[in-house]
Amino acid sequence: MSSDREHNFDEALLSGYLDGMLTQQETQRIRLHLEACASCRQAVDEMRTIREVTMTSTFSTPPDDQWDERPRGNISRLSFGLGWAIVIAWVVGLLGFALGQLWSGPESLTEKLLIFSAISGFALLLLSVLIDRIKRLGSDRYRRIEK
Amino acid sequence: MTMSATSPELEELLLRAKKGEASACDELARDHRQATYIFALQLVGNADDAMDLAQEAMLRFFSTLDRFQAGRAVRPWLFAIVRNLARDFWRRGKLRRHQSLDENVPDLSRALADPGANPEQATLAAERRHRLWRAVSLLPATKREILVLRDFHDLSYAEIAQVLRIPIGTVMSRLHAARKGLRREFLALETPATSGRDS
Repeated sequence: MSSDREHNFDEALLSGYLDGMLTQQETQRIRLHLEACASCRQAVDEMRTIREVTMTSTFSTPPDDQWDERPRGNISRLSFGLGWAIVIAWVVGLLGFALGQLWSGPESLTEKLLIFSAISGFALLLLSVLIDRIKRLGSDRYRRIEK
Repeated sequence: MTMSATSPELEELLLRAKKGEASACDELARDHRQATYIFALQLVGNADDAMDLAQEAMLRFFSTLDRFQAGRAVRPWLFAIVRNLARDFWRRGKLRRHQSLDENVPDLSRALADPGANPEQATLAAERRHRLWRAVSLLPATKREILVLRDFHDLSYAEIAQVLRIPIGTVMSRLHAARKGLRREFLALETPATSGRDS
């Protein structure tokens, strides 16, 4: 293909010609040029052939059953959030009640501290798991997908 | 069912999907998921990354459906999401292939479907297709993306401008540069000993 200087027109018009994107006047101008310029004619022919090969290609695609891109519905998301809120409130309430009962009970201070430290240990472990889960939820690409 | 870019059927389908109707969402997903996957593959060159990208793009499409304007074509909107996500994934190191997206990609010809019936013709045509997609893989992202949008996905210049966020007047010149680059790579792969490479 020769350069723009030799053509006296923008070489990109050859692509516009190939795609049928030019005005009637531009199309006529390019057509006349192609009749006279063998290198541009060859370039356009080759680009057309390459385009045809590109258009007729087919790619392997994943089967439909591998896809599940529908987002969770509003009701599903609401019940999920509400469910977690109720469970957390129940656990905190229960623990508070149990600790209150323990503190006002007849056991000695040592017994109270032993039970309290055991419960506190389990609660801290649960809390750390919960924090990890929440962090992972933030980076889970598929959290909003129906599963 | 595949509908034209802005047919009344598509408008109705989008309206139903916006209201959250599951069957409409499914139909939209069925119509567009494979093209979304293929465009993602053509951008990143890796099937697993392409699946992650396409899945996330479809999800983001459905979550932003209320912002989708009536009368617009779905595919440019979806492809713009894929393109943005590909850059986002790369920035955050979520792609299995960590080289810059602006470089070439692994050989796309390996992802082509098997050739058809007539074995002799199929072999010749398939060889040509494989060589072509090897050449496409060698192009830098800016050339590869505009080329596949026009010559594979058959988007109009206006739609390409929308996906790439460039003025419509730039599409023709960028596309021509991509086609010239592809022609050079394609011919170079035919006679590797005699031709140089420029990407």
